[in-house]
Amino acid sequence: MNAPLEPALAHLRALPHVRYAELREVSDRSERLLVRDGRTEELSDSRSAGVGVRVLSERGWGFACTPHRTEEAIVRAAERAAALAKASGVAAASPVVFPEREAARGSYASRVAVDPFTVKTEDKLARLERAVRAILAAGAPVRSASAWMQFTRQKKRLLTTEGTDVRQDFTYGACGMQGIAAGDDGRVVTRSYPTWQGGEGFQGGFEHVASLDLDAAVPVLVGELRELVVAPACPEGKRTVILDASQVGLQIHESCGHPTELDRALGTEISLAGGSFMQPNMLGELRYGSDLVTIVADSTHPLGLGTFGWDDEGTAAGTRPLVERGTFVDYLSGRETAAALGRASTGTMRAESWNRPPLIRMVNVSLEPGKGSLEDLVADTDDGVLIATDRSWSIDDVRLNFHFSCEIAWEIKRGKRTRVLRDPAYGGRTPELWGACDAICGPEEWRMWGIRNCGKGDPMQVMAVGHGAAPARFRDVLVGSSGGRS
Amino acid sequence: MSGARAHEELLGLARSALARAGVAEAQIALRDRTRHGARFSRGALGEHMVLSEPLALVRAAEGRRVAEVRTDDVDEEGLVAAVRAAHDAAKVAPETDGFDGFAGAGAPHVEPVRWAEATARIDEEARASRVAEVLRRVQNAGFVAAGMLETQATRSAIVTTRGCARGASSTVAGFRVWALESASGLGSAGYGGHLHRDVSALRVDEETERAIAVARDGRSPVAVDPGAWDVVMEPPALAELVEWLGAIAFGAREVEQGTSPLAGRLGERLTGESVTITEDPLDDSELGFGAPFDAEGVPRARVPLIEGGVARGVLYDRGHASRAGAASTGSALALEVPESTVGPTALHMAGGSAESVDELVRGMDRGLYVCRLHYVNGFVDTRRAVMTGLTRDGCFLVEKGKITRPVKNLRFCDSFLEALARADGMTRARRAIPTWWSDAGATVVPAVRIRGLTFVS
Repeated sequence: MNAPLEPALAHLRALPHVRYAELREVSDRSERLLVRDGRTEELSDSRSAGVGVRVLSERGWGFACTPHRTEEAIVRAAERAAALAKASGVAAASPVVFPEREAARGSYASRVAVDPFTVKTEDKLARLERAVRAILAAGAPVRSASAWMQFTRQKKRLLTTEGTDVRQDFTYGACGMQGIAAGDDGRVVTRSYPTWQGGEGFQGGFEHVASLDLDAAVPVLVGELRELVVAPACPEGKRTVILDASQVGLQIHESCGHPTELDRALGTEISLAGGSFMQPNMLGELRYGSDLVTIVADSTHPLGLGTFGWDDEGTAAGTRPLVERGTFVDYLSGRETAAALGRASTGTMRAESWNRPPLIRMVNVSLEPGKGSLEDLVADTDDGVLIATDRSWSIDDVRLNFHFSCEIAWEIKRGKRTRVLRDPAYGGRTPELWGACDAICGPEEWRMWGIRNCGKGDPMQVMAVGHGAAPARFRDVLVGSSGGRS
Repeated sequence: MSGARAHEELLGLARSALARAGVAEAQIALRDRTRHGARFSRGALGEHMVLSEPLALVRAAEGRRVAEVRTDDVDEEGLVAAVRAAHDAAKVAPETDGFDGFAGAGAPHVEPVRWAEATARIDEEARASRVAEVLRRVQNAGFVAAGMLETQATRSAIVTTRGCARGASSTVAGFRVWALESASGLGSAGYGGHLHRDVSALRVDEETERAIAVARDGRSPVAVDPGAWDVVMEPPALAELVEWLGAIAFGAREVEQGTSPLAGRLGERLTGESVTITEDPLDDSELGFGAPFDAEGVPRARVPLIEGGVARGVLYDRGHASRAGAASTGSALALEVPESTVGPTALHMAGGSAESVDELVRGMDRGLYVCRLHYVNGFVDTRRAVMTGLTRDGCFLVEKGKITRPVKNLRFCDSFLEALARADGMTRARRAIPTWWSDAGATVVPAVRIRGLTFVS
């Protein structure tokens, strides 16, 4: 983090049409390892570094960037961003409202006990190979196994014309495994641990990989594959549903995280992601869920992929409710979008890399825990299904009509898990589902999940976000088998 | 960067870095892309950007041990360091079965036309002016505009220590526009879009008018019941399903794992006789996009995947091909989609005999006319290619061969291959639709009429 940003900042300050500018130096290093069916399919080390410059003129924004961290290249990128901002004026509707803010200064670093980049590649591969071998050793019906790890170190410095100068140092990781089995009838089933690939990320060091204990999880995974290949399809009908914690996390992501993004609600994400049914005139009014449902935007939880010191506009991290006891109360926002509602930014502007402008992105959007264990909740359920581990996800362009299919379900009869059901799927409408939430498990079941592949923006930016969740129960949900309908 | 031979400089850089690195078995694949975007919403130009996207994919081997380094430091010093780092990593990597060195010189690759100088040269003022005209046109029609005008210029090169040296340059211009009843997108919406290598050939006015017309016709939609509906799908709707089929069906990895609908079924009928899907990366017409070689330096091949409804082909990179006893089809994706190893970049679905979409509509007594789909997901049941998603930006009721009224959006959930078996009409004309989840290329499809698509809510 030593690119000469200051000369470009001074250059921009001297341009009369520049109202605000930010320079963001970002340096990434990532390591990806994937073992599949006994082969090392991926052993990759990625490095990326550069500077992005965003400039606001009276009537528009401009963004330019450079991978060359020299004074000359950064000044040239700054000039380019200023020219783009100026040219935007011809297609502007009105002056951009962008409230000033006090300068932020300081630093942030992920809590890391064991730096993953100091752990030998051979040791990482050995863990993955051992897990894959153990799954494949089960023999038929198992036909394929894979295990993966991914680590990222990101360093970031933000410098703005307002005097903000913050430095951040992030360490992210992910680890998981999956088995695929085929029945005699050709039916293919999958089981993943700890959840689907892409949903298992964390902020922190290698210590979190060690705590996942792939070896110990293999027998359960293999046992469930064996049960799934001969299991009946999940019957169709309105049922009481318990979603496992990771599925609750994804449900929050799609049906609360995205619709509370203020850029979507205002219409600035129509060109890729869509809009939102949660409109500004519904703030404080919309009954989003039952009284049990409180969902917070938290950029402070140490394990969350959405945790930082400051967002990419210099707004400090914090915790703010989006849904409070079932009522919609706030948005994920940035400085410009929040100003459109006369509110303050909730600090959620982040960019995928140095060569992308920041957008509103989820931080850690989390469901507050309730009481009791998962087994308590099952025991309290007379008739229903427990559904776990996502397989497919789909929701409409305003985030109302959703459909998920999952890897496995268990039928619940008289307070006990009974038979395994394959291909469970469920669907519905967002406020109806959350309105039917009548139980959420307690802190002992609550954990922070990390989704690494959230897509948004145009061109698309992939972002890592967090979701704290515990298993939760919903009444009268339409369930079925993913083989056709739900 | 400019000119259809802009990649020559990149080839020289890669050759020089490879020679200096002094590693016996190595490969440098380079991609240098500059992307300009004018993104508009709420009736104004909101994000105006120029994005630099350099990428080097460097691989080195020690015997059969292979490792990879990706970097956006693509000057010579950076590349030399990357080759040496990859070689160091390879020394401790496990052996890769079947690895017998990186690609050799091979036969020359086809060089389809991919470059338009106008696209590489458009400046920010010209872009903003074109967007301003779109905004005015949509506003004058009583709607709010959103969308994107973007241009890309890409040069790519690959060099290996075994004599492979290939380069290519390409441009892409894309225009997407929505006419919205309300800025938030909650009311009626119409979409128009066009993809072309030449920005001056973009049908900006025509597609803007199309978006306005759909938004106008889409006001005050009525609800219809879910169930089995005959549908006519416009190319942007069908393309999303075909793109998903590409993700789950045609790559060698999915076939090897057994999750693909083609696994164990080559030569068998999968869908209707009217369905032919080909990986066609060499198309020289205005529907052709993408580089003529893959991330391993293998020329991309034209591969029939489904012919007359019968499963015919699979896409291979060198590793999967080696294990399957097949030849690589030039389908390594590492430069386009980092998390995928092998798959399509240019799926082309053959057209039919209908002269127009209207002809397809006239052949439907009662059904739905679907302009676009939203958030399709094809992981529901990959063996049967069951997919779910929703209509978006225009869905209309068809009665007695005529479009009669707009309907509210619906969710479908059905096997795409089984639905295509019920397709009984396709247009002769086809369109190139940009892939939405990556920069992998474009999907070329006609409009289609399908009988009895299952809508669930």
